[in-house]
Amino acid sequence: MPQILPNFSSSVKLKYVKLGYQYLVNHILTFFLIPIMVGILVEILRLGPEEMLNIWRSLHFDLVQVLCSSFLIIFIATVYFMSKPRSIYLVDYACYKPPITCRVPFSTFMEHSRLILKDNPKSVDFQMRILERSGLGEETCLPPAIHYIPPTPTMEAARGEAEVVIFSAIDSLMAKTGIKPKDIDILIVNCSLFSPTPSLSAMVVNKYKLRSNIKSYNLSGMGCSAGLISIDLARDLLQVHPNSHALVVSTEIITPNYYQGSERAMLLPNCLFRMGGAAILLSNKRRDRSRAKYRLVHVVRTHKGADDKAYKCVYEQEDPQGKVGINLSKDLMVIAGEALKSNITTIGPLVLPASEQLLFLFTLIGRKIFNPKWKPYIPDFKQAFEHFCIHAGGRAVIDELQKNLQLSAEHVEASRMTLHRFGNTSSSSLWYELGYIEAKGRMKKGDRIWQIAFGSGFKCNSAVWKCNRTISTKTDGPWQDCIDKYPVHIPEIVKL
Amino acid sequence: MFSYCFPLLCLFYNLWKIFDRRRHQNCYILDYECYKPSDDKKLSTRFCGEVIRRNKQLGLNEYKFLLKAIVSSGIGEDTYGPRMVLEGREMSPTLEDAIIEMDDFFLDTIDKLFNKTGISPSEIDVLVVNISMLAIVPSLSSRIIHHYKMREDIKVYNLTGMGCSASPIAINIVQNIFKTQRNVQALIVTSESLSLGWYTGKDRSMILTNCLFRSGGCAILLTNKVALKEKAMFKLKCLVRTHHGAKDESYDCCKQKEDDQGYEGVHLGKNLPKAATRAFVDNLKEIAPKILPVRELLRFTLLTLIRKMTQKYNKTGAAARPVINFKTGIDHFCLHTGGKAVIDAVAQNLNLSEYDIEPARMTLHRFGNTSASSIWYVLAYMQAKKRLKKGNKVFMISFGAGFKCNSCLWEVMRDLDQDGNVWKEFINSYPPKTIDNPFFEKYGWINEEDPDTFHIPDDYVIP
Repeated sequence: MPQILPNFSSSVKLKYVKLGYQYLVNHILTFFLIPIMVGILVEILRLGPEEMLNIWRSLHFDLVQVLCSSFLIIFIATVYFMSKPRSIYLVDYACYKPPITCRVPFSTFMEHSRLILKDNPKSVDFQMRILERSGLGEETCLPPAIHYIPPTPTMEAARGEAEVVIFSAIDSLMAKTGIKPKDIDILIVNCSLFSPTPSLSAMVVNKYKLRSNIKSYNLSGMGCSAGLISIDLARDLLQVHPNSHALVVSTEIITPNYYQGSERAMLLPNCLFRMGGAAILLSNKRRDRSRAKYRLVHVVRTHKGADDKAYKCVYEQEDPQGKVGINLSKDLMVIAGEALKSNITTIGPLVLPASEQLLFLFTLIGRKIFNPKWKPYIPDFKQAFEHFCIHAGGRAVIDELQKNLQLSAEHVEASRMTLHRFGNTSSSSLWYELGYIEAKGRMKKGDRIWQIAFGSGFKCNSAVWKCNRTISTKTDGPWQDCIDKYPVHIPEIVKL
Repeated sequence: MFSYCFPLLCLFYNLWKIFDRRRHQNCYILDYECYKPSDDKKLSTRFCGEVIRRNKQLGLNEYKFLLKAIVSSGIGEDTYGPRMVLEGREMSPTLEDAIIEMDDFFLDTIDKLFNKTGISPSEIDVLVVNISMLAIVPSLSSRIIHHYKMREDIKVYNLTGMGCSASPIAINIVQNIFKTQRNVQALIVTSESLSLGWYTGKDRSMILTNCLFRSGGCAILLTNKVALKEKAMFKLKCLVRTHHGAKDESYDCCKQKEDDQGYEGVHLGKNLPKAATRAFVDNLKEIAPKILPVRELLRFTLLTLIRKMTQKYNKTGAAARPVINFKTGIDHFCLHTGGKAVIDAVAQNLNLSEYDIEPARMTLHRFGNTSASSIWYVLAYMQAKKRLKKGNKVFMISFGAGFKCNSCLWEVMRDLDQDGNVWKEFINSYPPKTIDNPFFEKYGWINEEDPDTFHIPDDYVIP
């Protein structure tokens, strides 16, 4: 809360002052133009129609002058349209909905855990405590290979999971958009921890018989923020290639990465990561403008790898028994907060309205010149965005971001409910959250959405979208059958 | 009068803007550095025989087959392998081994590249890393950013699984980014991780990868800054990618999977050469019109037409198919050193002489098949032999799993001499008088033995 203002007992009046200030600064141009327009109108009315005609006739219109002025107008218009970067539209996207047979309710998970880790009751306890506080629900899913006791993570099973997740998502996307495989010009697949040869992108090319001059890219190892990195790459490619469609597939394959040892810090991902995937169709064709759901406005990427602690906070390594797993360090939240601050400093000037930027500037000047003890002003991002999609990394991440950005419960509802229903599906979680907001009928034309994702490295990436058309709730998606149950209240601790 | 100037000025300004934009979109290679592992990692044929022998899974037949493959592969005695093989731990590699293997490469080569060019790591705007067989968290690209303390707003991409043809794919990403932003410097790091992909079973099609792939890597610095044009080595003229994944036989011919006993390895199918040829031909069909002079294209079209007409009227006696002469548009050929058979096949298809394929053969002999970075070693050989003169065109082509065939054409910007190359210390001994494996005759004894009574005599020392 900005403490440059006096105490909050008189905050009611303060609220109106702030509102008035915002309206004034954000619409300052209108406030200047209106008196001028009114003045001109009054002048015209005063002069009367004959005077106006006289003035018109007195202007000499030479042929050359007419040509020059029309040329000038056309030239300015062309330069303006040509120098604008191409708009990137999100035509539609589809999320994978796992079958109900893959469900892992708490009881199943704990039973498996007790049987597999029977020699380590402390680790079993640890997992139980994590699960109680995790914010996950009873309907999250794990792939079939992990349901075995002990799990059987063969390469065949991993390929099988990849095929099911990716192909279902793409099939449903093609049904929704009506696009044919031959129309896809760019393909980007990101899956962090599973990268077979030939790549998953080659697998998609093979299944759908995509064209032989397709530009395909397979990104991996980039963590939970890889979805937005793929969108950034697609954006750069679509700027260079006119009239193209780009298919982006974001997923995380759980089968080969289920930790089978007993180190506690490495058991954490087992409790949180779940099966999921999304396929997104981007386009820069003008004719998709009318049917596209969103338009991409900005993508901002921040990489904190130069800092030692940030680099090591999500680290894949072997435990003393030689089993490979991902170690999440205890300072994860602090580092996430730091990365977010860096990202916000870059994205703030791009998206915040003038009122917030001025306030921030004044506090900054004040702190530098007058009194360094003033608390830094945290810009109010609710002015810039209507919806927030925060990567459902875990309950702590969402809590931390809600506190840092001063968001209300409704703003983070999509993230919390996605975590509850689908678990942490890594890079595709942002798309499930977007699906939630649409299914609730909250998405109106002109709404701005902010997607934030964190990932190993440590990276913080964000994307800003603008809604192109009001989206009706009848669109099908992973939330179709259960949206009426939500939002649910998620207790702090679920007693197991 | 004045009003006439104004639209004219506007027109000129518009045209200049378009021209200026084009000027800033060129992709230049500032410098590149190939990795030369330390000498304690050399894998001689003798040592390879030892490695095969100590694998208890392999019997006599496999031993014969593999020795024959190694000896006739065109790979010499000085190629390099991963540390864990030399330390005898190839049956149980750990994640640590893989990371050490990569660190050895990064710390050596990227340091050298930065020192050579005088560019500091914080000036890098784009980083693309492609290492096919290793995907860890955090990614190897994050590892590089962490070690060199690169900037926060760096654009980083970590490509994996794209096989031996990944270098042109990385260049494609950089080329596209160069077209959208000005004054960008990019670093591409390409290599292959052999530690965790080491096959420990006994399926023959999968052990071949153990025998043919070797350690190697390359770091390349690219830019589109016009100010650095004078210092640049190469300019990218054209890049074409062909993906045959839609065809099932092409997709399945090079696939990572488990064998019958559950050991993971990369299976090389029997129709690999056919799939490669098909992808190769398609790729050439697409790139030929872009790089060959009009004269050659006309000649080829005319000859094809004439042949078609003579065939129509004269059913018997088909004339020889006209072959397009790639040497009219290309001066040097950088072929992916997939193996002796690959180089021979490409040479035959493109009608290349021994001189043209000497760099590829010598790279295969000295460094083995280093996967995606092999074409850079071939390029370094040509540079060390002082073959690259200003205005020359260099054609790079590589094949990879998927099945992909990617190629690109570079123009040499200035006369290049050796100045500190990976081939520096031994270039004068190349080409050697013979590249046949010296142990070719010595293994003949295996063929005469009866498998039931065969045993390696106690005093026999593998030569």
